[in-house]
Amino acid sequence: MAVSVQYYLILSAFVFCVGLFGILTRRNALLFLMSVELMLNAANINFVAFSYYHGNLTGQVFSLFTMALAAAEVAVGIGIILVLYRNFADVDVTKATTLRW
Amino acid sequence: MITPEWAAAAPTLVLGVTALVLFAFDSIDPESSNNPVLAGIAVVGSLAAMGVSVAYLVAGVGDPAVELYGGQLVVDGMALFFQVIFTSVTALVALASYDYLEDMRHQAEYYILLLLAATGMSLMAAAGSLAVGFVALELASLPSYGLVAFLKQNRGSAEAGLKYFLIGALSSAVFAYGISLVYAVSGSLLIDAVAGSVRNAGQPGVLGVGVLMVLGGFAFKTASVPFHFWAPEAYEGAPAPISAFLSSASKAAGFALAFRVMTVAFPIEGVVGAVDWVLAVQVLAVVTMTLGNFAAATQENVKRMLAYSSVGHAGYVLIGLAALTGTGDGGLVLGAGMIHLLVYGFMNTGAFLFIALAEYWGVGRTFADYNGLARRAPLACVAMTVFMFSLAGLPVGGGFVSKYYLFAGAVNAGVWWLALVGAVNSALSLFYYSRVVKAMWIEEPAEGVDVSSYPSTLYAAVITAAVVTVVLLPALGLFSGFAFDAAAAVLF
Repeated sequence: MAVSVQYYLILSAFVFCVGLFGILTRRNALLFLMSVELMLNAANINFVAFSYYHGNLTGQVFSLFTMALAAAEVAVGIGIILVLYRNFADVDVTKATTLRW
Repeated sequence: MITPEWAAAAPTLVLGVTALVLFAFDSIDPESSNNPVLAGIAVVGSLAAMGVSVAYLVAGVGDPAVELYGGQLVVDGMALFFQVIFTSVTALVALASYDYLEDMRHQAEYYILLLLAATGMSLMAAAGSLAVGFVALELASLPSYGLVAFLKQNRGSAEAGLKYFLIGALSSAVFAYGISLVYAVSGSLLIDAVAGSVRNAGQPGVLGVGVLMVLGGFAFKTASVPFHFWAPEAYEGAPAPISAFLSSASKAAGFALAFRVMTVAFPIEGVVGAVDWVLAVQVLAVVTMTLGNFAAATQENVKRMLAYSSVGHAGYVLIGLAALTGTGDGGLVLGAGMIHLLVYGFMNTGAFLFIALAEYWGVGRTFADYNGLARRAPLACVAMTVFMFSLAGLPVGGGFVSKYYLFAGAVNAGVWWLALVGAVNSALSLFYYSRVVKAMWIEEPAEGVDVSSYPSTLYAAVITAAVVTVVLLPALGLFSGFAFDAAAAVLF
Protein backbone atom coordinates (compact mmCIF):
# COMPACT_ATOMS: atom_id res chain seq x y z
CA MET A 1 0.00 0.00 0.00
CA ALA A 2 1.38 3.36 -0.99
CA VAL A 3 1.88 6.05 1.64
CA SER A 4 -0.73 8.73 1.17
CA VAL A 5 0.55 12.03 -0.14
CA GLN A 6 -0.23 14.26 2.80
CA TYR A 7 2.32 12.42 4.95
CA TYR A 8 5.01 13.53 2.50
CA LEU A 9 3.78 17.07 2.91
CA ILE A 10 4.09 16.79 6.69
CA LEU A 11 7.57 15.26 6.39
CA SER A 12 8.75 18.03 4.09
CA ALA A 13 7.27 20.74 6.33
CA PHE A 14 9.11 19.17 9.26
CA VAL A 15 12.44 19.08 7.38
CA PHE A 16 11.89 22.68 6.26
CA CYS A 17 11.27 23.80 9.84
CA VAL A 18 14.38 21.98 11.07
CA GLY A 19 16.39 23.91 8.47
CA LEU A 20 14.76 27.21 9.39
CA PHE A 21 15.41 26.57 13.09
CA GLY A 22 19.05 25.88 12.29
CA ILE A 23 19.38 29.16 10.40
CA LEU A 24 17.82 31.15 13.20
CA THR A 25 19.91 29.63 15.98
CA ARG A 26 23.33 28.71 14.54
CA ARG A 27 26.14 31.21 14.31
CA ASN A 28 28.59 29.10 12.33
CA ALA A 29 28.36 29.96 8.62
CA LEU A 30 28.98 26.32 7.60
CA LEU A 31 26.08 25.05 9.73
CA PHE A 32 24.04 27.81 8.13
CA LEU A 33 24.82 26.31 4.70
CA MET A 34 23.79 22.86 5.88
CA SER A 35 20.49 24.23 7.16
CA VAL A 36 19.76 25.86 3.80
CA GLU A 37 20.51 22.51 2.19
CA LEU A 38 17.87 20.89 4.42
CA MET A 39 15.30 23.49 3.38
CA LEU A 40 16.02 22.93 -0.32
CA ASN A 41 15.72 19.17 0.15
CA ALA A 42 12.38 19.68 1.86
CA ALA A 43 11.23 21.24 -1.41
CA ASN A 44 12.65 18.22 -3.26
CA ILE A 45 10.56 15.82 -1.15
CA ASN A 46 7.45 17.73 -2.20
CA PHE A 47 8.46 17.76 -5.84
CA VAL A 48 9.10 14.03 -6.03
CA ALA A 49 6.04 13.05 -3.99
CA PHE A 50 3.65 15.22 -5.95
CA SER A 51 5.24 14.26 -9.22
CA TYR A 52 4.11 10.70 -8.43
CA TYR A 53 0.73 11.95 -7.19
CA HIS A 54 0.02 14.02 -10.31
CA GLY A 55 1.45 11.38 -12.63
CA ASN A 56 3.82 13.71 -14.51
CA LEU A 57 7.60 14.03 -14.46
CA THR A 58 7.83 17.82 -14.11
CA GLY A 59 8.46 17.68 -10.37
CA GLN A 60 11.13 14.99 -10.56
CA VAL A 61 13.01 16.87 -13.27
CA PHE A 62 12.81 20.10 -11.31
CA SER A 63 14.16 18.39 -8.19
CA LEU A 64 17.29 17.57 -10.23
CA PHE A 65 17.60 21.26 -11.08
CA THR A 66 17.22 22.16 -7.43
CA MET A 67 20.01 19.76 -6.45
CA ALA A 68 22.35 21.19 -9.11
CA LEU A 69 21.56 24.73 -7.99
CA ALA A 70 22.08 23.80 -4.35
CA ALA A 71 25.52 22.47 -5.26
CA ALA A 72 26.35 25.67 -7.17
CA GLU A 73 25.12 27.76 -4.27
CA VAL A 74 27.30 25.86 -1.80
CA ALA A 75 30.32 26.30 -4.07
CA VAL A 76 29.86 30.06 -4.16
CA GLY A 77 29.02 30.12 -0.46
CA ILE A 78 32.14 28.22 0.56
CA GLY A 79 34.20 30.68 -1.48
CA ILE A 80 32.67 33.64 0.31
CA ILE A 81 33.07 31.96 3.71
CA LEU A 82 36.75 31.39 2.88
CA VAL A 83 37.16 35.11 2.12
CA LEU A 84 35.38 35.86 5.39
CA TYR A 85 37.73 33.57 7.28
CA ARG A 86 40.78 35.25 5.76
CA ASN A 87 39.52 38.68 6.77
CA PHE A 88 38.08 37.95 10.20
CA ALA A 89 39.87 34.68 11.15
CA ASP A 90 36.49 33.21 12.08
CA VAL A 91 33.37 31.75 10.45
CA ASP A 92 30.99 33.08 13.11
CA VAL A 93 28.38 35.14 11.22
CA THR A 94 27.88 37.47 14.19
CA LYS A 95 31.57 38.43 14.40
CA ALA A 96 31.61 40.25 11.07
CA THR A 97 30.35 43.66 12.13
CA THR A 98 32.41 46.21 10.21
CA LEU A 99 29.14 47.53 8.82
CA ARG A 100 26.15 47.98 11.04
CA TRP A 101 23.92 44.89 10.94
CA MET B 1 6.23 37.79 -34.87
CA ILE B 2 9.75 36.92 -35.96
CA THR B 3 11.39 34.11 -37.95
CA PRO B 4 13.19 32.04 -36.84
CA GLU B 5 11.32 32.01 -33.56
CA TRP B 6 14.34 31.48 -31.34
CA ALA B 7 15.69 34.85 -32.51
CA ALA B 8 13.13 36.44 -30.18
CA ALA B 9 15.46 35.48 -27.31
CA ALA B 10 18.31 37.42 -28.93
CA PRO B 11 18.87 39.98 -26.11
CA THR B 12 19.49 37.14 -23.65
CA LEU B 13 21.64 35.24 -26.15
CA VAL B 14 23.79 38.28 -26.92
CA LEU B 15 24.47 38.83 -23.20
CA GLY B 16 25.33 35.17 -22.69
CA VAL B 17 27.61 35.07 -25.74
CA THR B 18 29.38 38.23 -24.55
CA ALA B 19 30.10 36.53 -21.23
CA LEU B 20 31.52 33.53 -23.12
CA VAL B 21 33.66 35.77 -25.33
CA LEU B 22 35.11 37.37 -22.21
CA PHE B 23 35.71 33.90 -20.81
CA ALA B 24 37.54 32.84 -23.98
CA PHE B 25 39.64 36.02 -23.89
CA ASP B 26 40.51 35.38 -20.27
CA SER B 27 41.52 31.77 -20.90
CA ILE B 28 43.79 32.79 -23.79
CA ASP B 29 45.34 35.67 -21.90
CA PRO B 30 44.86 35.13 -18.15
CA GLU B 31 45.89 37.94 -15.84
CA SER B 32 45.55 40.23 -18.85
CA SER B 33 46.50 43.82 -18.28
CA ASN B 34 44.67 44.82 -21.43
CA ASN B 35 41.72 46.28 -19.55
CA PRO B 36 40.32 48.48 -22.34
CA VAL B 37 39.59 45.31 -24.32
CA LEU B 38 37.83 43.62 -21.40
CA ALA B 39 35.70 46.66 -20.60
CA GLY B 40 35.18 47.25 -24.32
CA ILE B 41 33.81 43.75 -24.93
CA ALA B 42 31.44 44.09 -21.98
CA VAL B 43 30.19 47.53 -23.05
CA VAL B 44 29.81 46.60 -26.72
CA GLY B 45 28.04 43.34 -25.83
CA SER B 46 25.53 44.99 -23.53
CA LEU B 47 24.97 47.87 -25.95
CA ALA B 48 24.32 45.34 -28.73
CA ALA B 49 21.81 43.53 -26.51
CA MET B 50 20.19 46.87 -25.73
CA GLY B 51 20.00 47.74 -29.42
CA VAL B 52 18.35 44.41 -30.20
CA SER B 53 15.78 44.73 -27.41
CA VAL B 54 14.91 48.33 -28.33
CA ALA B 55 14.56 47.33 -31.99
CA TYR B 56 12.31 44.39 -31.05
CA LEU B 57 10.21 46.58 -28.81
CA VAL B 58 9.72 49.19 -31.53
CA ALA B 59 9.10 46.57 -34.23
CA GLY B 60 6.48 44.88 -32.06
CA VAL B 61 8.16 41.46 -31.92
CA GLY B 62 6.50 40.73 -28.58
CA ASP B 63 2.99 41.41 -29.87
CA PRO B 64 1.56 38.79 -29.93
CA ALA B 65 3.84 37.08 -27.41
CA VAL B 66 6.37 34.60 -28.83
CA GLU B 67 6.39 31.34 -26.87
CA LEU B 68 9.60 29.31 -27.07
CA TYR B 69 10.33 25.73 -25.95
CA GLY B 70 6.74 24.82 -25.23
CA GLY B 71 6.01 27.98 -23.29
CA GLN B 72 9.10 27.83 -21.04
CA LEU B 73 10.19 31.20 -22.40
CA VAL B 74 7.74 33.96 -23.22
CA VAL B 75 9.02 36.96 -25.17
CA ASP B 76 6.40 39.69 -24.96
CA GLY B 77 6.37 43.45 -24.60
CA MET B 78 7.00 43.24 -20.87
CA ALA B 79 10.04 40.97 -21.27
CA LEU B 80 11.55 43.26 -23.92
CA PHE B 81 10.84 46.39 -21.90
CA PHE B 82 12.65 44.96 -18.88
CA GLN B 83 15.51 43.74 -21.06
CA VAL B 84 16.02 47.35 -22.19
CA ILE B 85 16.40 48.32 -18.51
CA PHE B 86 18.89 45.53 -17.68
CA THR B 87 21.06 46.02 -20.74
CA SER B 88 21.30 49.80 -20.38
CA VAL B 89 22.21 49.53 -16.69
CA THR B 90 24.78 46.85 -17.52
CA ALA B 91 26.32 49.06 -20.21
CA LEU B 92 26.59 52.03 -17.84
CA VAL B 93 28.08 49.90 -15.06
CA ALA B 94 30.60 48.21 -17.37
CA LEU B 95 31.64 51.61 -18.73
CA ALA B 96 32.12 53.07 -15.26
CA SER B 97 33.96 49.97 -13.99
CA TYR B 98 36.86 50.58 -16.36
CA ASP B 99 38.13 53.49 -14.29
CA TYR B 100 36.91 52.14 -10.97
CA LEU B 101 38.84 48.88 -11.35
CA GLU B 102 42.05 50.57 -12.47
CA ASP B 103 45.08 48.52 -11.35
CA MET B 104 42.97 45.83 -9.68
CA ARG B 105 43.41 42.14 -10.37
CA HIS B 106 40.80 39.66 -11.65
CA GLN B 107 39.14 42.18 -13.92
CA ALA B 108 38.11 39.59 -16.52
CA GLU B 109 36.24 37.65 -13.81
CA TYR B 110 34.48 40.83 -12.78
CA TYR B 111 33.10 41.50 -16.26
CA ILE B 112 32.21 37.82 -16.81
CA LEU B 113 30.20 37.73 -13.58
CA LEU B 114 28.54 41.04 -14.48
CA LEU B 115 27.45 39.76 -17.89
CA LEU B 116 26.31 36.39 -16.51
CA ALA B 117 24.17 38.13 -13.90
CA ALA B 118 22.70 40.31 -16.65
CA THR B 119 21.93 37.15 -18.67
CA GLY B 120 20.09 35.71 -15.67
CA MET B 121 18.06 38.89 -15.26
CA SER B 122 17.16 38.98 -18.91
CA LEU B 123 16.02 35.36 -18.62
CA MET B 124 13.96 36.18 -15.52
CA ALA B 125 12.00 38.75 -17.49
CA ALA B 126 11.15 36.14 -20.15
CA ALA B 127 10.49 33.18 -17.82
CA GLY B 128 7.36 31.31 -18.83
CA SER B 129 7.49 28.73 -16.06
CA LEU B 130 8.34 28.72 -12.37
CA ALA B 131 11.23 26.33 -13.08
CA VAL B 132 12.86 28.74 -15.55
CA GLY B 133 12.13 31.58 -13.16
CA PHE B 134 13.93 29.81 -10.30
CA VAL B 135 16.96 28.83 -12.38
CA ALA B 136 17.20 32.34 -13.88
CA LEU B 137 16.89 33.91 -10.43
CA GLU B 138 19.81 31.79 -9.26
CA LEU B 139 21.79 32.67 -12.39
CA ALA B 140 21.29 36.32 -11.53
CA SER B 141 21.99 35.84 -7.81
CA LEU B 142 25.09 33.62 -7.71
CA PRO B 143 27.35 35.97 -9.75
CA SER B 144 26.01 38.88 -7.67
CA TYR B 145 27.22 37.27 -4.43
CA GLY B 146 30.69 37.00 -5.94
CA LEU B 147 30.61 40.57 -7.22
CA VAL B 148 29.63 42.01 -3.83
CA ALA B 149 32.58 40.22 -2.22
CA PHE B 150 34.87 41.24 -5.11
CA LEU B 151 37.19 43.39 -2.97
CA LYS B 152 38.66 40.35 -1.25
CA GLN B 153 41.07 42.24 1.02
CA ASN B 154 38.36 44.62 2.18
CA ARG B 155 36.58 43.52 5.36
CA GLY B 156 33.44 45.45 4.49
CA SER B 157 33.17 43.82 1.10
CA ALA B 158 33.67 40.30 2.47
CA GLU B 159 31.10 40.91 5.18
CA ALA B 160 28.61 42.38 2.70
CA GLY B 161 29.10 39.37 0.42
CA LEU B 162 28.48 36.96 3.30
CA LYS B 163 25.30 38.68 4.45
CA TYR B 164 23.97 38.97 0.90
CA PHE B 165 24.74 35.31 0.33
CA LEU B 166 23.20 34.05 3.58
CA ILE B 167 19.93 35.92 3.12
CA GLY B 168 19.91 35.08 -0.59
CA ALA B 169 20.36 31.37 0.12
CA LEU B 170 17.63 31.45 2.77
CA SER B 171 15.17 33.26 0.53
CA SER B 172 15.88 31.04 -2.47
CA ALA B 173 15.14 28.01 -0.26
CA VAL B 174 11.86 29.66 0.78
CA PHE B 175 11.14 30.41 -2.88
CA ALA B 176 11.83 26.80 -3.92
CA TYR B 177 9.60 25.48 -1.16
CA GLY B 178 6.86 27.87 -2.24
CA ILE B 179 7.14 26.62 -5.82
CA SER B 180 6.92 23.03 -4.57
CA LEU B 181 3.67 23.82 -2.73
CA VAL B 182 2.21 25.51 -5.81
CA TYR B 183 3.21 22.44 -7.82
CA ALA B 184 1.57 20.23 -5.20
CA VAL B 185 -1.73 21.98 -5.81
CA SER B 186 -1.56 22.60 -9.54
CA GLY B 187 0.55 19.72 -10.89
CA SER B 188 2.37 22.01 -13.31
CA LEU B 189 5.12 24.61 -13.31
CA LEU B 190 4.11 26.44 -16.50
CA ILE B 191 2.69 29.80 -15.50
CA ASP B 192 -0.30 29.54 -17.84
CA ALA B 193 -1.14 26.02 -16.69
CA VAL B 194 -0.83 27.01 -13.03
CA ALA B 195 -3.31 29.82 -13.64
CA GLY B 196 -5.79 27.28 -15.04
CA SER B 197 -5.61 24.89 -12.10
CA VAL B 198 -5.39 27.26 -9.13
CA ARG B 199 -8.95 28.43 -9.68
CA ASN B 200 -11.11 26.52 -7.19
CA ALA B 201 -8.03 24.57 -6.14
CA GLY B 202 -8.55 21.60 -3.84
CA GLN B 203 -6.20 22.60 -1.02
CA PRO B 204 -6.51 26.38 -0.52
CA GLY B 205 -4.33 26.30 2.59
CA VAL B 206 -1.36 24.71 0.80
CA LEU B 207 -1.79 27.05 -2.15
CA GLY B 208 -1.99 30.09 0.13
CA VAL B 209 1.23 29.26 1.94
CA GLY B 210 2.91 28.52 -1.40
CA VAL B 211 1.90 31.86 -2.91
CA LEU B 212 3.11 33.76 0.16
CA MET B 213 6.46 31.93 0.08
CA VAL B 214 6.90 32.70 -3.63
CA LEU B 215 6.15 36.33 -2.76
CA GLY B 216 8.89 36.12 -0.12
CA GLY B 217 11.37 35.06 -2.80
CA PHE B 218 10.47 38.15 -4.82
CA ALA B 219 10.77 40.35 -1.74
CA PHE B 220 14.43 39.31 -1.43
CA LYS B 221 15.27 40.06 -5.04
CA THR B 222 13.52 43.43 -4.98
CA ALA B 223 14.89 44.37 -1.51
CA SER B 224 11.41 44.74 -0.03
CA VAL B 225 10.28 44.05 3.53
CA PRO B 226 10.62 41.39 5.04
CA PHE B 227 13.78 40.34 3.13
CA HIS B 228 15.24 43.81 2.78
CA PHE B 229 17.88 43.88 5.51
CA TRP B 230 20.64 42.58 3.28
CA ALA B 231 20.33 45.66 1.06
CA PRO B 232 22.01 48.39 3.15
CA GLU B 233 24.88 46.04 4.03
CA ALA B 234 25.42 44.72 0.53
CA TYR B 235 25.16 48.12 -1.16
CA GLU B 236 27.48 49.76 1.34
CA GLY B 237 30.16 47.07 1.29
CA ALA B 238 30.12 46.27 -2.43
CA PRO B 239 32.19 48.15 -5.03
CA ALA B 240 30.04 51.18 -5.93
CA PRO B 241 29.38 50.17 -9.59
CA ILE B 242 28.10 46.83 -8.28
CA SER B 243 25.83 48.64 -5.82
CA ALA B 244 24.46 50.53 -8.82
CA PHE B 245 23.96 47.30 -10.73
CA LEU B 246 22.23 45.48 -7.87
CA SER B 247 19.98 48.30 -6.75
CA SER B 248 18.78 49.09 -10.28
CA ALA B 249 18.97 46.04 -12.53
CA SER B 250 18.62 43.31 -9.91
CA LYS B 251 15.63 45.04 -8.35
CA ALA B 252 13.99 45.44 -11.77
CA ALA B 253 14.62 41.74 -12.49
CA GLY B 254 12.85 40.76 -9.27
CA PHE B 255 9.90 42.91 -10.24
CA ALA B 256 9.86 41.53 -13.80
CA LEU B 257 9.41 37.99 -12.49
CA ALA B 258 7.04 39.10 -9.72
CA PHE B 259 4.78 41.01 -12.14
CA ARG B 260 4.49 38.04 -14.48
CA VAL B 261 4.07 35.28 -11.88
CA MET B 262 1.66 37.13 -9.61
CA THR B 263 -0.58 38.48 -12.37
CA VAL B 264 -0.56 35.52 -14.77
CA ALA B 265 -0.17 32.46 -12.51
CA PHE B 266 -2.16 33.73 -9.53
CA PRO B 267 -4.86 36.05 -10.93
CA ILE B 268 -6.39 37.63 -7.87
CA GLU B 269 -10.00 36.84 -8.75
CA GLY B 270 -9.04 33.15 -9.02
CA VAL B 271 -7.02 32.72 -5.83
CA VAL B 272 -8.72 35.23 -3.52
CA GLY B 273 -10.41 32.31 -1.74
CA ALA B 274 -7.01 30.83 -0.84
CA VAL B 275 -4.90 33.92 -0.26
CA ASP B 276 -5.55 37.62 -0.83
CA TRP B 277 -2.03 38.42 -2.04
CA VAL B 278 -3.04 41.91 -3.17
CA LEU B 279 -3.76 42.77 0.46
CA ALA B 280 -0.40 41.28 1.48
CA VAL B 281 1.39 43.38 -1.17
CA GLN B 282 -0.48 46.50 -0.05
CA VAL B 283 0.81 45.99 3.49
CA LEU B 284 4.31 45.27 2.19
CA ALA B 285 4.25 48.37 -0.03
CA VAL B 286 3.30 50.69 2.83
CA VAL B 287 5.81 49.14 5.26
CA THR B 288 8.60 49.09 2.65
CA MET B 289 8.08 52.71 1.60
CA THR B 290 7.88 54.02 5.15
CA LEU B 291 10.72 51.95 6.56
CA GLY B 292 13.03 52.70 3.63
CA ASN B 293 12.45 56.44 3.74
CA PHE B 294 12.60 56.86 7.52
CA ALA B 295 15.77 54.78 7.75
CA ALA B 296 17.31 56.78 4.89
CA ALA B 297 16.51 60.04 6.67
CA THR B 298 18.59 59.03 9.70
CA GLN B 299 21.76 58.02 7.84
CA GLU B 300 25.03 59.94 7.92
CA ASN B 301 26.66 57.81 5.22
CA VAL B 302 25.66 58.78 1.67
CA LYS B 303 25.98 55.30 0.19
CA ARG B 304 23.88 53.83 3.00
CA MET B 305 21.31 56.59 2.57
CA LEU B 306 21.01 55.64 -1.12
CA ALA B 307 20.68 51.98 -0.12
CA TYR B 308 17.72 52.71 2.15
CA SER B 309 16.21 55.01 -0.45
CA SER B 310 16.46 52.05 -2.83
CA VAL B 311 14.34 50.05 -0.35
CA GLY B 312 11.87 52.94 -0.35
CA HIS B 313 11.66 52.91 -4.15
CA ALA B 314 10.91 49.18 -4.09
CA GLY B 315 7.90 50.20 -2.00
CA TYR B 316 6.75 52.68 -4.67
CA VAL B 317 7.00 50.07 -7.41
CA LEU B 318 5.11 47.54 -5.25
CA ILE B 319 2.12 49.88 -5.70
CA GLY B 320 2.08 48.51 -9.25
CA LEU B 321 1.04 45.12 -7.84
CA ALA B 322 -0.82 46.39 -4.79
CA ALA B 323 -3.30 48.38 -6.88
CA LEU B 324 -4.44 45.37 -8.93
CA THR B 325 -7.66 45.27 -6.97
CA GLY B 326 -9.79 44.47 -9.99
CA THR B 327 -11.32 47.96 -10.09
CA GLY B 328 -9.81 50.61 -12.32
CA ASP B 329 -7.25 50.12 -15.08
CA GLY B 330 -4.77 47.45 -13.97
CA GLY B 331 -2.61 47.95 -17.05
CA LEU B 332 -2.15 51.60 -16.17
CA VAL B 333 -0.72 51.03 -12.71
CA LEU B 334 1.35 47.95 -13.65
CA GLY B 335 2.77 49.88 -16.62
CA ALA B 336 3.53 52.78 -14.28
CA GLY B 337 5.57 50.41 -12.13
CA MET B 338 7.56 49.35 -15.21
CA ILE B 339 8.14 52.98 -16.23
CA HIS B 340 9.31 53.86 -12.74
CA LEU B 341 11.81 51.00 -12.90
CA LEU B 342 13.09 52.28 -16.26
CA VAL B 343 13.63 55.82 -14.97
CA TYR B 344 15.02 54.46 -11.70
CA GLY B 345 17.45 52.36 -13.73
CA PHE B 346 19.09 55.56 -14.93
CA MET B 347 18.78 57.96 -12.01
CA ASN B 348 19.74 55.47 -9.31
CA THR B 349 22.56 53.93 -11.34
CA GLY B 350 23.86 57.44 -11.93
CA ALA B 351 23.70 58.31 -8.23
CA PHE B 352 25.67 55.21 -7.24
CA LEU B 353 28.18 55.86 -10.02
CA PHE B 354 28.69 59.33 -8.58
CA ILE B 355 29.54 57.58 -5.30
CA ALA B 356 31.98 55.46 -7.30
CA LEU B 357 33.51 58.69 -8.58
CA ALA B 358 33.79 60.01 -5.02
CA GLU B 359 35.41 56.74 -3.91
CA TYR B 360 37.82 57.03 -6.83
CA TRP B 361 38.87 60.47 -5.59
CA GLY B 362 39.17 59.21 -2.02
CA VAL B 363 36.42 61.51 -0.76
CA GLY B 364 34.97 60.19 2.51
CA ARG B 365 31.63 58.47 2.90
CA THR B 366 29.53 60.86 4.99
CA PHE B 367 27.47 63.88 3.97
CA ALA B 368 30.04 66.19 5.55
CA ASP B 369 32.78 64.74 3.31
CA TYR B 370 30.85 65.96 0.26
CA ASN B 371 31.03 69.57 1.43
CA GLY B 372 31.97 71.96 -1.33
CA LEU B 373 32.58 69.20 -3.86
CA ALA B 374 30.82 71.30 -6.50
CA ARG B 375 33.75 73.74 -6.60
CA ARG B 376 36.14 70.99 -7.63
CA ALA B 377 33.89 68.97 -9.91
CA PRO B 378 30.94 71.12 -10.98
CA LEU B 379 29.87 68.98 -13.92
CA ALA B 380 29.57 65.75 -11.91
CA CYS B 381 27.79 67.63 -9.13
CA VAL B 382 25.21 69.02 -11.56
CA ALA B 383 24.56 65.41 -12.62
CA MET B 384 24.26 64.28 -8.97
CA THR B 385 21.83 67.13 -8.29
CA VAL B 386 19.68 65.97 -11.18
CA PHE B 387 19.68 62.40 -9.82
CA MET B 388 18.79 63.49 -6.29
CA PHE B 389 15.90 65.73 -7.31
CA SER B 390 14.64 63.21 -9.83
CA LEU B 391 14.72 60.46 -7.18
CA ALA B 392 12.75 62.73 -4.87
CA GLY B 393 10.21 63.25 -7.65
CA LEU B 394 10.82 66.90 -8.53
CA PRO B 395 10.19 67.75 -12.20
CA VAL B 396 13.85 67.94 -13.26
CA GLY B 397 13.94 64.34 -14.47
CA GLY B 398 11.79 61.40 -15.46
CA GLY B 399 11.24 60.45 -11.80
CA PHE B 400 8.49 63.06 -11.57
CA VAL B 401 6.42 61.60 -14.40
CA SER B 402 6.80 57.96 -13.36
CA LYS B 403 5.79 58.71 -9.77
CA TYR B 404 2.84 60.72 -11.04
CA TYR B 405 1.71 57.74 -13.16
CA LEU B 406 2.07 55.39 -10.18
CA PHE B 407 0.06 57.54 -7.79
CA ALA B 408 -2.56 58.36 -10.44
CA GLY B 409 -2.90 54.65 -11.18
CA ALA B 410 -3.35 53.88 -7.48
CA VAL B 411 -6.07 56.53 -7.13
CA ASN B 412 -7.71 55.20 -10.28
CA ALA B 413 -7.78 51.69 -8.77
CA GLY B 414 -9.53 52.95 -5.64
CA VAL B 415 -6.56 52.62 -3.28
CA TRP B 416 -6.03 56.36 -2.86
CA TRP B 417 -4.48 55.81 0.57
CA LEU B 418 -1.53 54.03 -1.08
CA ALA B 419 -0.93 57.12 -3.22
CA LEU B 420 -1.25 59.29 -0.11
CA VAL B 421 1.39 57.26 1.79
CA GLY B 422 3.60 57.39 -1.31
CA ALA B 423 3.25 61.17 -1.60
CA VAL B 424 4.03 61.72 2.09
CA ASN B 425 7.09 59.51 1.75
CA SER B 426 8.22 61.40 -1.35
CA ALA B 427 8.02 64.64 0.57
CA LEU B 428 10.11 63.12 3.36
CA SER B 429 12.63 61.81 0.84
CA LEU B 430 13.19 65.36 -0.46
CA PHE B 431 14.69 66.17 2.96
CA TYR B 432 17.50 63.64 2.84
CA TYR B 433 18.16 63.90 -0.90
CA SER B 434 18.55 67.66 -0.61
CA ARG B 435 21.10 67.17 2.19
CA VAL B 436 23.49 65.83 -0.46
CA VAL B 437 22.80 68.78 -2.74
CA LYS B 438 23.23 71.24 0.14
CA ALA B 439 26.54 69.67 1.13
CA MET B 440 27.86 69.79 -2.43
CA TRP B 441 26.80 73.33 -3.37
CA ILE B 442 26.39 75.40 -0.22
CA GLU B 443 28.74 74.13 2.46
CA GLU B 444 32.36 75.24 2.65
CA PRO B 445 34.85 72.72 1.23
CA ALA B 446 36.51 70.32 3.64
CA GLU B 447 40.28 70.29 3.97
CA GLY B 448 42.58 67.84 2.32
CA VAL B 449 40.42 66.40 -0.44
CA ASP B 450 42.33 66.41 -3.67
CA VAL B 451 40.32 66.08 -6.87
CA SER B 452 43.29 65.86 -9.14
CA SER B 453 42.14 63.59 -11.96
CA TYR B 454 38.96 63.35 -13.96
CA PRO B 455 38.42 59.66 -14.88
CA SER B 456 36.93 59.79 -18.37
CA THR B 457 34.74 56.67 -18.52
CA LEU B 458 33.30 57.16 -15.04
CA TYR B 459 32.46 60.72 -16.03
CA ALA B 460 30.99 59.55 -19.32
CA ALA B 461 28.75 57.04 -17.52
CA VAL B 462 27.55 59.59 -14.93
CA ILE B 463 26.85 62.27 -17.55
CA THR B 464 25.07 59.81 -19.85
CA ALA B 465 22.83 58.69 -16.99
CA ALA B 466 22.07 62.33 -16.12
CA VAL B 467 21.26 63.28 -19.71
CA VAL B 468 18.95 60.29 -20.11
CA THR B 469 17.25 61.08 -16.79
CA VAL B 470 16.53 64.63 -17.93
CA VAL B 471 15.53 63.62 -21.45
CA LEU B 472 13.11 61.04 -20.04
CA LEU B 473 11.05 63.86 -18.53
CA PRO B 474 9.70 65.10 -21.88
CA ALA B 475 10.35 61.86 -23.79
CA LEU B 476 8.60 59.49 -21.42
CA GLY B 477 5.43 59.98 -23.41
CA LEU B 478 7.09 58.07 -26.27
CA PHE B 479 7.97 55.10 -24.04
CA SER B 480 4.96 54.98 -21.77
CA GLY B 481 2.76 53.59 -24.54
CA PHE B 482 4.96 50.50 -24.83
CA ALA B 483 4.83 49.92 -21.07
CA PHE B 484 1.07 50.37 -20.76
CA ASP B 485 0.39 48.11 -23.76
CA ALA B 486 2.80 45.46 -22.47
CA ALA B 487 1.26 45.53 -18.99
CA ALA B 488 -2.26 45.32 -20.37
CA ALA B 489 -1.22 42.37 -22.58
CA VAL B 490 0.08 40.48 -19.55
CA LEU B 491 -3.03 41.17 -17.49
CA PHE B 492 -5.65 40.11 -20.02
